[in-house]
Amino acid sequence: MTVQRAAVQRASWRQRARDPGWGLLFVLPMLVLFVIFRFVPSLGAVGMSLTDYRLSGDFSFVGADNYVRLFEDDLFFHSLRVTLLYAAICVPLALVVALGTATLLHHVVRGQSVFRGLLFLPYVTSFVMAGIIWTWIYESDGLINGLLEKLGVGPVPFLTGNQAMVLASLAVVSVWKSFGYSMLILVAGLKNIPEDIVEAAKLDGAGPCSRFWRITIPLLRPVIFFVLVIETIAAFQVFDTIYVMTGGGPARASYGLVYMLYDQGFKFFDFGYAATVGVVLFLVVFLISLVQRYVLDREKT
Amino acid sequence: MTATIEAQTPPRTYPTQAHRPRRNRANVWLTLLLVLASVFTIVPFVAVLVLAVSPESAPTIPRQLPDDVTLDNLTAVLSASSFLRWTLNSVLYSVVSVVIILLTAAMAGYAFARKRFPGSTALMWSFLATLMVPIQATLIPMFVLVSRLDGVNTFWGLIVPTLANSQAVFLMRQFIRELPDELFDAAKIDGAGEWTVFWRLVLPLTKPVLATLGIFVFLWHWNDFLWPLVIAQTDEMRTLTVGLSTLNAESVARARIMASAAISVVPCLIIFGVLQRYLVNSVATTGLKG
Repeated sequence: MTVQRAAVQRASWRQRARDPGWGLLFVLPMLVLFVIFRFVPSLGAVGMSLTDYRLSGDFSFVGADNYVRLFEDDLFFHSLRVTLLYAAICVPLALVVALGTATLLHHVVRGQSVFRGLLFLPYVTSFVMAGIIWTWIYESDGLINGLLEKLGVGPVPFLTGNQAMVLASLAVVSVWKSFGYSMLILVAGLKNIPEDIVEAAKLDGAGPCSRFWRITIPLLRPVIFFVLVIETIAAFQVFDTIYVMTGGGPARASYGLVYMLYDQGFKFFDFGYAATVGVVLFLVVFLISLVQRYVLDREKT
Repeated sequence: MTATIEAQTPPRTYPTQAHRPRRNRANVWLTLLLVLASVFTIVPFVAVLVLAVSPESAPTIPRQLPDDVTLDNLTAVLSASSFLRWTLNSVLYSVVSVVIILLTAAMAGYAFARKRFPGSTALMWSFLATLMVPIQATLIPMFVLVSRLDGVNTFWGLIVPTLANSQAVFLMRQFIRELPDELFDAAKIDGAGEWTVFWRLVLPLTKPVLATLGIFVFLWHWNDFLWPLVIAQTDEMRTLTVGLSTLNAESVARARIMASAAISVVPCLIIFGVLQRYLVNSVATTGLKG
């Protein structure tokens, strides 16, 4: 009996001792990757922003100098303004297109899955490919201007005109490439709206418009906020299309925050300063998602 | 799957005779608007294709449709050594990343879902917290780190830093947590070791979610731009997206660029064509976002 109990004891002891070891072992590969390529660079960004790190790898500690320089740098405020303006165009546009197409998909009787596929299709391409094809679409002898010419309307300078036009043109490309994702989220949200509420409103004589504004939109509010958050974060990270289509131009009209970060880092090799832009980018995105979170929580209660 | 069910079941409400014409008219408008939206999404693809098969410097869209159709651009692109090299790099970047992420994320997800070890909750949260840090914000320190380790212009420098993927870990954890406890108990009673449980139980049971995750990881990497742009500085290390952007910046003939763009998007279109339902349905259920 003593032998038996000892065996049981040993087994349970081994069981307990074995679990933590195996758990850690299974996490270990991912943990190593995270420590080296996520945690260290995140802290490293803050650390580097306090130095004058250069391409050579030499650096000295400069305290808050980079932040002081950033807040005295007109270029920084310019790029922040560009990004804000871009987001102000892109986010509402994406939401309207996604919500519009989602509503259409939800109500159409036939061909729903075909249309859903066609509308989602651009999502699987790259922003680079989107940028290349839309550059041609926007050119003075490109698709849109070619068609306008047939109507006798002069060429529209989509990518060379004033700032609002250039940013709007870039926003259209982003919306084209990625609204399908938000659309699918909204379609799923629409499906979750209880049928009987809609039916009851119908019986009460509510028309399609008032049903949309008074039932669909309020019930969809959490989903809409989720879409707003992801679209805003995406808008603040815009880079690929700008790099491919305008190179930040014309005359820095599309020189956004991430483009400035890239420019300072990989054109001027001013890594300390570029890291500072990165930290500020993080803070701005973080702040915006906090505000959106707060608004969303307040809406709920 | 939802779509098939909907197609089979009859409409829930049967409109009365009086309502039918009005309903039909409304439906025609809905369909028309959807056709219009689809034109917006599809026309650029068609344009790429038309330009890719138009003879170089011959009149083509938008003024007129090309008189001749030629495959010269496509064959020229496919026989250019740098284009093939970029394609190979993109394939390596995407496929290797998919394999390693699926394996390591499944392992980590299994540990977070089924094992208790000191600090597991805190660790899961710290993984998730990295989602809040935009990749661009840590671009500079990542680059400096990799270049100090001599990883610039190498495959490991391109691939390894992109493998720490918290969305993948979290998705696997959620899925493995839902698996019935009895399966794991039964395996333990049968005396299966930890590795056997993982290989013979966890991996086969998570096949559907692994497939979904695999598609997304492939698309993220195939379409990725900023990281390859800074890490691949020589022509022969470039991925397709970076290569295309350099073609676009140099004054390469339009037909040639469009042919390259057309070819680069083919793998994604194939994935889309074959796995469309799967991809479309998983967006809402998994919340994966590129």
